[in-house]
Amino acid sequence: MMEFRIEQWRAWAPGLDSPQAWTTWAQSPVAVPDRLEQPECLSLPAMQRRRLSRLARMTMEVASPLCSNEEQLPFVFGSRHGETTRTFALLGDVTDEQPLSPTQFGLSVHNAIAGQWSILRGQRGESVAIAGEADTFEHALLESAMLLEAGASSVLTVIAEETPPSAYAGWIVDVPFSYALALRLGRVDTSGPQSTDACWQLRLDRHDGGSAHCAWPHALDFLRASQTGEKSLEHVWKTRRWNWQRTR
Amino acid sequence: MEHVAVTREALERDIAQLIIDTLNLEHLTATDIPVDQPLFGDGLGLDSVDALELALALQKNYAVRIESDVKDARRHFATIASLAAFVGTQRAACAD
Repeated sequence: MMEFRIEQWRAWAPGLDSPQAWTTWAQSPVAVPDRLEQPECLSLPAMQRRRLSRLARMTMEVASPLCSNEEQLPFVFGSRHGETTRTFALLGDVTDEQPLSPTQFGLSVHNAIAGQWSILRGQRGESVAIAGEADTFEHALLESAMLLEAGASSVLTVIAEETPPSAYAGWIVDVPFSYALALRLGRVDTSGPQSTDACWQLRLDRHDGGSAHCAWPHALDFLRASQTGEKSLEHVWKTRRWNWQRTR
Repeated sequence: MEHVAVTREALERDIAQLIIDTLNLEHLTATDIPVDQPLFGDGLGLDSVDALELALALQKNYAVRIESDVKDARRHFATIASLAAFVGTQRAACAD
């Protein structure tokens, strides 16, 4: 059993760039049109911004407001599919027998965005980059729970997915649109008596029945539930049943 | 002589544009980078990954060979003017 306090959150998707927009989305979730829009990240100097992919910009956009310049927070980056745009372009170069761009190659690894976060924000603490299955969100939260258990006062967790190049359309079916969700997580027991932060418990059970998949990516479904005041939700993937209970 | 000067200016501008396009310097235009401004470190602020990227772009666009001699490469890659001189020399050598 894991417990979290949601100290702060931010989310981004095309056309959904404020907490108010997400609250409205949560009332009646729809697949928003994805026209390759990306956050401008104008708070970053242009020389630093230039190497950020769309996925990286989305990550910076949601994570930045949740971490002040004076603090160091462990960082968990979760993405099932990662930098599909970069890797697909590199594969195209390989096929065409063209030399690979050192920048594209270096930044195509799964922990590159965590590294860019570290460099751009001077974050020197631990960071973890995770790719799991459709329940990557819960696995990232498991990692965050362990960091909290190990003594971190707060953990910054980002789940980010980008609509992949069309060549992947038959294989990647769980990204209805590009999105990023950042959660600043704290321990439940360190919460002050006046705190109104939402608290959630997460439990993993074995699942033996059929596989009724969640209609939305788990991170977005969690956001939807938390914005509409739902007290519990269940995310099933293969043999895993993740049970979420809101305790405050 | 005038013809040579114009050619060199055109080459310098082309290289400036190549740097901007290759390294995603979307906030700059070719004329924003003085030809004698250091490209690396305190000047334009490029780094070692940019050097690799730029070498690749120069090889692709101008079919020049970048010698593995670090000292020479450093000299050639110092500024837009030195890059243009290097590309010009390499092209002249090939034309001979």
